[in-house]
Amino acid sequence: MRWDPNIKITLRRVTKVFEEKGVTALQDVSLDIRKDKFTTIVGPSGCGKSTLLHLLAGFDRPSNGEIRLDGQMIEKPGPDRGFVFQDYALFPWKTVLGNITFGLTINGVAKSRAQEIAMEYIRLVNLEGFEHAYPHTLSGGMKQRVAIARALAYNPEVLLMDEPFGALDAQTRKYMQGELIRIWERFKKTVVFVTHSVIEAIYLSDVVVVLSARPGTVKGIIEVDIPRPRNYTGQEYLDVRKRVLGILEEEVQKEISMDRA
Amino acid sequence: MKPRTVFLALLPLAGFLLTWQVLADQRWINTALFPSPGQIAASMAALMTEYEDGRSVLAMHVFTTGKRLAAAAMEGIVIGMTGGCLLAVSRWFYRLANPFILLILPIPGIAMAPLFIVWLGFGDQVIITIGAVTTFFPVAYNTYAGIRSVNPQIVHAASIMGAGPLRILVQVYLPWAAVYILNGIKLGLARCWRTVVAVEFIAAADWGLGYMIWDAAEHLNASVVYGGIFLLALLFVILEKGLINGIARLTVNRWGFSLS
Amino acid sequence: MTLSTLRTRTAETLLPFLVGGILWEGGCRFFDVSPQILPPPSLIAAQAVELWAKGALRQHILASLFRLLLGYVLAVTAGIILGALIALKSDIRRMSSLTLSLLISIPTITWVPVLLITMGLGDRTVITAVFLGGLFEMIYSTALGVENVNRRIVDAARIMGAKRTDLFFRVMLPASLSFVIPALRLCIGYCWRALIGAEILSAMIRWGLGKMIFEARFWNDVTVMFIGLLSIGLLAVLFDRVFLRRLERITIEKWGIAARIDA
Repeated sequence: MRWDPNIKITLRRVTKVFEEKGVTALQDVSLDIRKDKFTTIVGPSGCGKSTLLHLLAGFDRPSNGEIRLDGQMIEKPGPDRGFVFQDYALFPWKTVLGNITFGLTINGVAKSRAQEIAMEYIRLVNLEGFEHAYPHTLSGGMKQRVAIARALAYNPEVLLMDEPFGALDAQTRKYMQGELIRIWERFKKTVVFVTHSVIEAIYLSDVVVVLSARPGTVKGIIEVDIPRPRNYTGQEYLDVRKRVLGILEEEVQKEISMDRA
Repeated sequence: MKPRTVFLALLPLAGFLLTWQVLADQRWINTALFPSPGQIAASMAALMTEYEDGRSVLAMHVFTTGKRLAAAAMEGIVIGMTGGCLLAVSRWFYRLANPFILLILPIPGIAMAPLFIVWLGFGDQVIITIGAVTTFFPVAYNTYAGIRSVNPQIVHAASIMGAGPLRILVQVYLPWAAVYILNGIKLGLARCWRTVVAVEFIAAADWGLGYMIWDAAEHLNASVVYGGIFLLALLFVILEKGLINGIARLTVNRWGFSLS
Repeated sequence: MTLSTLRTRTAETLLPFLVGGILWEGGCRFFDVSPQILPPPSLIAAQAVELWAKGALRQHILASLFRLLLGYVLAVTAGIILGALIALKSDIRRMSSLTLSLLISIPTITWVPVLLITMGLGDRTVITAVFLGGLFEMIYSTALGVENVNRRIVDAARIMGAKRTDLFFRVMLPASLSFVIPALRLCIGYCWRALIGAEILSAMIRWGLGKMIFEARFWNDVTVMFIGLLSIGLLAVLFDRVFLRRLERITIEKWGIAARIDA
């Protein structure tokens, strides 16, 4: 198979079945994630978007089909990927600095160098001064910034984000979206982002992938060509939103009728 | 539960018993010290069918211990709950009593036995009293914690509906605190049980599971020692799983809480 | 903690004892209570000083502490290792949960007769009793702690490339401390109980607080009994406050993952 250098991750006919629950989360998903682009996956509840992200992370294996990163099969979690969880998953017994250096030191980076690198990222996410704080003393937004810094610090090829702003209040969420784009534009990494919110998806991404209701398949792929920083209310924005919602609406209806069944 | 899980759970026990039986039959282990499970079962059966005063010896032992346990537990729980309420209600009482409680709490019941024996002599009374004392502490502490943990908003809700202080205590505080109190009772019962058996080792005149085990040990009757211990464990598991969890199911579990 | 809070804290703790002590002393004298029944604090203190000067009290205390700490350390080490194993290997877990529940229900004191007939009446028996007293509880709590580690924290470490040893020692173990450290406190309580029980029942040992209390019965020496009981109480509280609570404070409380009530 010829490997296109512009494609970072390929998914071919990926299916995921959870036998104990008798649930098919994903069915025959085929997708190309473009390199250095911000891709978001949206879909109704239960459509399997988080499952898909877990497969990309290597936390789980597909029942069928294959997933390749830079041509190599993804079989288990590894430092070529970074992951940001919705509930932060910070190590409570480590300080902010300790959390961020963890990914570096376990991969062989010397402690002093690791701390230098960590401090750069701490500055990047605007948390300078909090290096020695313990996570439980920080607010939600701050914790998520630490999580992002931690995931980026060891320079993974791909950044995976699972509804990272879902637990934050509306204000902080908006702020974090802006921050994320600012940080991303510095590094221009491949990002795969999962969210419920269509507004968030269009604000952030280059590509929006719409997943169908369970079992999830790719229902639509929409390119978002609007230059950044984006305006939530500009005409182009609203057009894209209409298109996405159009595809989504159908799926949400299906989801609701499934719940009632 | 899946059959495989049940099988795996029973495997080590069955395996252990089987190995033991074989080793004993082959005389590879000292059967005076480690009688085979078969012998143990036989001894216990013998005790069960041995009669004195028209009642089975084993049953008498179990019954006597149970009687003491019940009495000690009831005393301990009642006084413990009262004490806990007092601690929760009066800040002064708490400040005064707390250091004493903290000091006495870790002292094992059996250590207090000689003292109580001097005061009360041998027999039922001593055993019950010490049992009650050890039950008192966890019950009191947990009652105190439970009452103090009540969400003040539901108290406000009740009072604005017109409930007076006594009604609030009984119909708001106590049900809320019930989870804690039940946990305290669970802990207290565990302690009471262990202490009663332990004190029976030294203070019982002639009946009781503890007495039975200790007497057997003194006469080097290993069968009865092992049998007695197994019986104790079984009875306690039944007591805890059956009684406590049963009460929990009828009360706090229905309200959405669960015991730790 | 500031000096003034330390002073208020100490005062708050000591005052009730002062009040209690005065009431006790007063009550004994006023009601002319026989020192054979309830000795006044002054008598207890005097006898304690005498016993200490003779060296006897020190011997008893050291003997008990030695057995306690040895058994405790062994129980904690073995308990953590076994508990972690049980939690991590699901087959082992399914095999051992029933056995563990049964073993935990057995009152520690009942192991003593078994140990007495198999191991004799000496030191080793007491230490083994202490060991068994703490072991099962430690296994259970460690297993619970490891099982309850937030899956996502483990995932986060995995994706950063943590290998299995890293994962266990640097992630799962610290994360399980919110269960393991309170268990350390619980365990020492069980160990104390095992210690005293075993000392009382072992005829061949010479020293030990349990032994001291038990022997005092033969001379109806209630004062010595009180000395023994108070020593146990004080040592237990001291150890708890000075070591275990501090350990709790510098670990799980500092990290914000401490659990709630203890009793």
